[in-house]
Amino acid sequence: MSYITDYQYYENNQTSPTDENWGSYQYISLDDIVNNFLLMYQGNNELINNINRYQVLFFAKRAIQELNYDAMKEVKILQLQVNDQLRFVLPPDYVNWVRISLYQNGVLRPLTENIQTNWSGAYLQDNQYRILFDAYGDVLKPESSQLDIDRILGQNRSIYLNAGSPYDGAMGYLYEGAWFFDFQVGGRFGLNTETANSNPTFNINKSAGVINFSSGMASSSVVLEYVSDGMEKGNDSKVSVNKLFEDYIYAAIKYSILNNRLSAQEYIINRARKDKSSLLRTQS
Amino acid sequence: MGPFFFAYLCSMPINEVRNTVLAIANKNNYGYISPQDFNLYAQQAQMDMYEDYFYQYNNWINRENARSSGTGYADIVKGLEEVIDTFSVQAFLAQLNPSSVPNVPSGLSGSAVYQLPSDYYLINKLYRYPTRRVSGTTSSSVGGSALLIDNTQDFFTTGVQPGDLVINTSATGAAPYPATGAPGLQGWVQNISNASTPAGSTITCSAALFVDPAGGGPGGETYAIYDANNIVEVERVSQSKIFNLTSSNLTRPTPQYPCYVLDGNLISVYPTTWDGLNDPYTLGDRMGPCDVKAQYIRYPNAPRWTWVGLVGGEPVFNASAVDYQDFELPLSDEPALIAKICQYVGIEIREAEVVQFGQGEEALDTQETS
Repeated sequence: MSYITDYQYYENNQTSPTDENWGSYQYISLDDIVNNFLLMYQGNNELINNINRYQVLFFAKRAIQELNYDAMKEVKILQLQVNDQLRFVLPPDYVNWVRISLYQNGVLRPLTENIQTNWSGAYLQDNQYRILFDAYGDVLKPESSQLDIDRILGQNRSIYLNAGSPYDGAMGYLYEGAWFFDFQVGGRFGLNTETANSNPTFNINKSAGVINFSSGMASSSVVLEYVSDGMEKGNDSKVSVNKLFEDYIYAAIKYSILNNRLSAQEYIINRARKDKSSLLRTQS
Repeated sequence: MGPFFFAYLCSMPINEVRNTVLAIANKNNYGYISPQDFNLYAQQAQMDMYEDYFYQYNNWINRENARSSGTGYADIVKGLEEVIDTFSVQAFLAQLNPSSVPNVPSGLSGSAVYQLPSDYYLINKLYRYPTRRVSGTTSSSVGGSALLIDNTQDFFTTGVQPGDLVINTSATGAAPYPATGAPGLQGWVQNISNASTPAGSTITCSAALFVDPAGGGPGGETYAIYDANNIVEVERVSQSKIFNLTSSNLTRPTPQYPCYVLDGNLISVYPTTWDGLNDPYTLGDRMGPCDVKAQYIRYPNAPRWTWVGLVGGEPVFNASAVDYQDFELPLSDEPALIAKICQYVGIEIREAEVVQFGQGEEALDTQETS
């Protein structure tokens, strides 16, 4: 009997969502990994015995996470519109970004990251520049820092590049899609390569869980390509890994367990480590 | 323990053992053992040997790993497993009424507390069927039949498959009609009847699970049908680890990876709610009365040599007594068991030779099987 009938694969037995099983054959589920490991690698006559299932589960998940970070090319894509605060809230399973693009007129325009920060926290201060506190001793914070306000209002200057324009290379303000320039007095020193681009830029505030864009991006459509940790937000039944990595996952679990065993001989641990690393190289 | 020939594991006739013990001990008619004393020694000896099986099992696994045990007829571990498995029992655990035990030791006071069976020696595993296909109440019953009839259901559309587990979840007295099935009475789906009216409302089960003794009636027994292909083990977790486990994002118990802790003879199952996996379960579904099943190794029944009347001053063996019980260990253990009983008997009658005989036999037996 096959794992799955053609009808189940194409139509999911008419159960919604009917596309649930498309491409599923490429993947092996977390349940299968844990079950297979306990069945084949653990027992009275195996290298590993007397192990709890939750330990196998933990190491299996850690192996999948590491795979997602380092080796797998499983990129997720999310399209959202940027809000008035020029923010794009990161998806719940976000770990790192691959590419961020502005979707405009049917074209994806990859954006560059501005390593000069365009956001900041702030504390309230009195006219003597002393920090203000509340009754509980916690510092008082404004809603936005001056840096944020200037960015949102388009009051941060950046270089304008347009070879056909007399303002090419001049420092200006991009506000609501239009450029404004100061009188050009004095010299300009250096070139900020991150912002020397006619496209908007972004900077990621990881702890706040947002991408901050430069001005002019409000309500623009942004496509985020990112990598996750493969944990599907904690829904174990959805966690899976490509079958090409199956052997690596078993090797990684085996190594992690043996490496933590009090009585495991060093040569056994080394063998497990070599298994793991060589499988990662050959399968990735 | 005797040689490892466990063919069909015939249990040992108690009368035969008693006759042999008396023949050894009853020298010059002063070695008579009363039935009560014999039963006590028999129980003691059986328990001693029973426990020894588990140590033997472990010992032979170690020896197998050292390549001093073979396969096929030389597979000692397999033989030991077979004996231990004869004491294996699978049974639903009784759910504790939360109102009667408001605060169990683990701190759980909900519906996720179950009572372990009273005769267990060791719990090998607990498991459950996490995918409940459908549940309901029978609308009628047919006396003596294996039918499950629920006119409110079309079982074709509920995903019920042949082989799925059917459980009578009625608690006696709780159903509106006197329920005949004790909670946990179970069988499996054989087929869904095409001819039933309304269509798909009747299932033929493997056994008469919903039988009205009066021969047909209004039904009223509750049932649940589970996907028999999805069985998850409820894993034992030590008390020292459980809160680390429940606090961990990666390993916290889920319907697919449940766990339990033991308090006395109560188990507390985590998670306490079973939402998500079990369509058509609703969010926040609670544990039910027949949700956790145990596979455990029970204690052997206490052997009982029963008798009726005296003939010539001797009690006459009666195998028809209600409390009659043979030894449950395999026939091959008879010499070792007799040797062990002889040691107790020898002490009682202050006969050193009998004790020495028993000890000698036992030592020889150990030597042979090691």
